[in-house]
Amino acid sequence: MKNIIPMVKYHPDARFLTDYAAGSLPASQALCVATHLHYCALCRQKNRELTELGAELFMQLQPAEVDHSEFERLVARIAVVPVNQPAKTRQAQVVSILPTAINKLANGNLEQLEWRRIGNNLRVANLNLGDQQRETSLLSIKAGGHVPHHRHKGDEITVILKGSFSDHEDKYSTGDFIVRTRGETHRPVASQDQDCLCLSTLDAPIVMSNWLLRIGLYLYNLAAAPQRRQA
Amino acid sequence: MRTGSIKTMDYESDEQHLATPTDEKVQQWITCLEQVAARQDIKAFAALFEHFSPMIKSFAYKVPALEQADSFADELLQETMLKVWTKAASFDPKLASPSTWIFTIARNMRIDLLRKQARHVVNNVPLYKDGDDDEIDLEDIWFEDENSDLFNHLAQQRSRKQIHDSLLTLPAEQTEVLAKVYLEDKSHAEVAAELKLPLGTVKSRVRLALNKLKLVVDR
Repeated sequence: MKNIIPMVKYHPDARFLTDYAAGSLPASQALCVATHLHYCALCRQKNRELTELGAELFMQLQPAEVDHSEFERLVARIAVVPVNQPAKTRQAQVVSILPTAINKLANGNLEQLEWRRIGNNLRVANLNLGDQQRETSLLSIKAGGHVPHHRHKGDEITVILKGSFSDHEDKYSTGDFIVRTRGETHRPVASQDQDCLCLSTLDAPIVMSNWLLRIGLYLYNLAAAPQRRQA
Repeated sequence: MRTGSIKTMDYESDEQHLATPTDEKVQQWITCLEQVAARQDIKAFAALFEHFSPMIKSFAYKVPALEQADSFADELLQETMLKVWTKAASFDPKLASPSTWIFTIARNMRIDLLRKQARHVVNNVPLYKDGDDDEIDLEDIWFEDENSDLFNHLAQQRSRKQIHDSLLTLPAEQTEVLAKVYLEDKSHAEVAAELKLPLGTVKSRVRLALNKLKLVVDR
């Protein structure tokens, strides 16, 4: 967790950072913020401060009554529970390019995920975070490849894990946290030098502007639906 | 010589500025945690329990519309303090103050318990990946900060004091929104819905508060 990528340009705003520090952000969006924090020392510092603010508010709570029996119950439990030993000699941490959470979701091997192809340049693997209202996935865009033109029905957060892409507004690179709101249309293109890997979470499914793709996706979903129900 | 003494004076006034009664308390809780870690000291643990458990319970009761709030509060208290006991060795006063560390544990535990509750409601739909092996830990998403590389301890202490003092001077409407966001498990969007305010108003109240607290988050 020591990789400092100097060029992080797009950061989560105060709303995302405070909701993250407070713990009220839905897991899928929190994963996006955590991923950004992995790459951004500046936001890690802000997160520390916002967590302190939470602790301060926490300590100012009206104290609730605690019965003495509750401590006794706890003492009975700690007598039998193993205590974590201090990690004094921390093993030389494998400096991972990807955040821990992503590595775990992929079981340490991205290729093991169930990737599906959309068009020639885009592969998508869904991640299950148990969030019924959002779809979270990893996107892999071929170097130089276009993502099909699409319009957002809900808000979308994208965090770049590897490589870079650009759209009509700017060029985005590793660690950037990009928010697209409902109704915005864009057409990202991965840069030529390498494939671009992103994490993305959507409030509602996107609409492909291209009708052929739309039909393709519809058929795909139709075919995939029974399997998914079984899983 | 003279420059030397001026420097000393500056240093002293700086120390004075930081030395508040709260700091002595902070040191006390640091010592307790270290004693729990080093020799599983029950007495030190009892002191921590006495000080922090009323807040942990209160933090549990802040969740709105809870069914069986009492047992939820009991569980949160038990599980949080159990973690404090088992994880005391990983507490590092250079990274967080005791109250920040314990708040973080209580916050993560509350998220975890709320999800477990929700899981029962939604017919055992798995919340993470299917199968236990793939399940990711909440603590991988809300991870503990292990980056001491860019960490400035003194700046941290200053900001803590800054936050502490200026919280009292915030207008009520800003404190209200902050408290809802931090304590009642509500996102900005949910606070907006509850107070019947536009999301933008909630956002700007939080932003004003953060500005006052000198936690300017947006560039």
